[in-house]
Amino acid sequence: MFQQQIANGIVLGSIYALIALGYTMVYGILELINFAHGEIYMIGAYSAIIFLALLTTVHANPPVFFLLLLLFSFSMVMTAMYGATMERVAYRPLRKAPRLSLIITAIGMSLFFQNYVMLTQGARDKVFPQDVAKDISLMLSDIFQRILPPGIGSPHGVSLFGAKFSNMDIVTILSSITLMILLQLFIKRTKTGKAMRATAQDPSMCRLVGIDVDKIIRVTFIIGSALGATAGIMIAANMKYGRVHYYMGWTIGLKAFTAAVLGGIGNIPGAMLGGFVLGIVESLAAGYISSEYKDVYAFVILILVLIIKPTGLLGERVPEKM
Amino acid sequence: MMNKKFLINCQAVGSWTSLFLFSIFILLSLLSCKKEENVLWIGVAGPMTGDQAKMGIDMSNGVTLAVEEWNERGGILGKKIKIIKGDDRRDPREAVNVANKFVNEGVVGVIGHFNSSCSIPASKIYFEFGIPQISPASTNPTLTEQGFDSVFRVCGRDDQQGKVGAEFILNILKKTKIAVLHDKTTYGQGLADELKKNAEALGATTVAYEGIIQGDNDFTAVLTKVKTKNPEVVYFGGIYPEAGLLVKQMRHLDLDAIFVSGDGVIDPEFIKIGGDATEGTFLSFGPSVEELPTAKKFIETYTERFGEIGPYSTYSYDATQILLTAISLAKTIDGKKVAEAIHNLRYEGALGAIEFDEKGDVKIAPYIFWVVKGGKFEPYKPAEPEPST
Repeated sequence: MFQQQIANGIVLGSIYALIALGYTMVYGILELINFAHGEIYMIGAYSAIIFLALLTTVHANPPVFFLLLLLFSFSMVMTAMYGATMERVAYRPLRKAPRLSLIITAIGMSLFFQNYVMLTQGARDKVFPQDVAKDISLMLSDIFQRILPPGIGSPHGVSLFGAKFSNMDIVTILSSITLMILLQLFIKRTKTGKAMRATAQDPSMCRLVGIDVDKIIRVTFIIGSALGATAGIMIAANMKYGRVHYYMGWTIGLKAFTAAVLGGIGNIPGAMLGGFVLGIVESLAAGYISSEYKDVYAFVILILVLIIKPTGLLGERVPEKM
Repeated sequence: MMNKKFLINCQAVGSWTSLFLFSIFILLSLLSCKKEENVLWIGVAGPMTGDQAKMGIDMSNGVTLAVEEWNERGGILGKKIKIIKGDDRRDPREAVNVANKFVNEGVVGVIGHFNSSCSIPASKIYFEFGIPQISPASTNPTLTEQGFDSVFRVCGRDDQQGKVGAEFILNILKKTKIAVLHDKTTYGQGLADELKKNAEALGATTVAYEGIIQGDNDFTAVLTKVKTKNPEVVYFGGIYPEAGLLVKQMRHLDLDAIFVSGDGVIDPEFIKIGGDATEGTFLSFGPSVEELPTAKKFIETYTERFGEIGPYSTYSYDATQILLTAISLAKTIDGKKVAEAIHNLRYEGALGAIEFDEKGDVKIAPYIFWVVKGGKFEPYKPAEPEPST
């Protein structure tokens, strides 16, 4: 049971981590807690379902691997567009406004997106087509069975260290770690990344030396939103979940925010660590104490971190964010 | 100075004018609000939007059909009947708002609400203003245990349902180790508690009793815990979206217990969300409407008009018929007398004969079990019982 609970926690945690990356990046640059980021994740999941519906209307039936690739690109582009538009419409006009106005705007954007999706997509739960989810899962298990030693992979999932993962769980964990590393490299090694770090430290100085601060902020939103979309798709396309609804982003958004704070907000490996720790704590607490208060544990952690170590686990380098 | 004074005057004049216009507006709207003399209003309350919107729409479709039948026959007490919808979005606070709205609109009776957690707070308001309320779907016992003589329901009660469920698990499935899960709502936890109580009375052991969070997507933590207790049956008190995910995640974790649940799960969405995992799950609900000879005509008109029939469409239809029949028998819209007429009524409806006891519950609540087979709900007919040895 213990191993399985850790496994459950890691899977949940990698979803939190992917969303937390978006929170932490935006916070690093704008010092804005973008409460609408959870909704971007929700839109990512919806985009995946819409894309599949589009495919069926044109009777396209691409091979599964190709389909998965298309699915991810479509949703990521969609959410990137939503993210960039949100930044342009809601946050850029407030660049010089007090911090509080920004946060209130962010909550407003969150409510707006929820109701926007409810009105355009309907209030009923949507279900990711289960046959597609199954095809994807079978394709993945095929790959796993080829690369992993025999006996570990099976069409129903992967058994590792006495715990069972669904095939999509493995992809979720691996891709969240990979994306975090890529993001870290991007920020540390590329010119745009350097500009992002510079903007985080001193936007007005950046303007003086010729960095297009608005563009850098836009790029941040685009990357963060695309990462949120991957989390959304991985929840939708997982055989274990597959349910999508318009308010799914709110709680998970708050938890991802908790993860970001726990890891040290503004710190990218911290967001990832925070996500995993939160997921595991939540699973263990739900398993060993009571599942009725599953949502409570995350927020207890948030309060404890804010009281005991406001900089978070990896947040020593707060003055030099990201 | 002059300028400023002038401005202040202007403002004063402006505000007085606007106040004047405003009061005229209010007066006008009050006048236009004045009831149309030849119309009786019936309230339909339920979740018309939100994740349970389908249930609310099913209800209002059923009510619409009944009302149209009466209007074709020339209405009631010489008046036409009209429907006013109230959306409680499955939120108890909204339900109270809806109830107050209905009181203000002067409805002669209410069909609703859907959720027990909405029906119960709303029933206090309806009772206070003497408006008869008939719920087609709220099964929590409390609703009719408050001593309100104008509250009725045409569905069964959770204690009846819990008892039937417990007997089913022990006598037909012949299982004794039960894990009970619920979604912490009035309905879900109420049903789960009744099942637990009845099953334990019959000699079963409850190996786990856990709450989950409505709207959550991941129940692996609690299911992993349940799995260590090796239950033979997992009983869930709650609604279909969580039920679908629960079954799916149970099968993912190789928890092979039989999944049994109640009437909140009987919705095609359950199979859509749960996929193959829902095969062989058991759900308690009223008898199959399709198999009832009395419902044949209703089903024909309904499907022709609105498409596929919902689980509570028939209940809403019968509830409306009962209310309207009672009004026509009482020859008045006085709530007290109408409620009395409902108590004395024996109504032959689409669901068969319905009679109410003094609390407002139906005298006979025929719960049966349904099984998911080939992606469809089917009334469960157990194989011939083996001769006991």
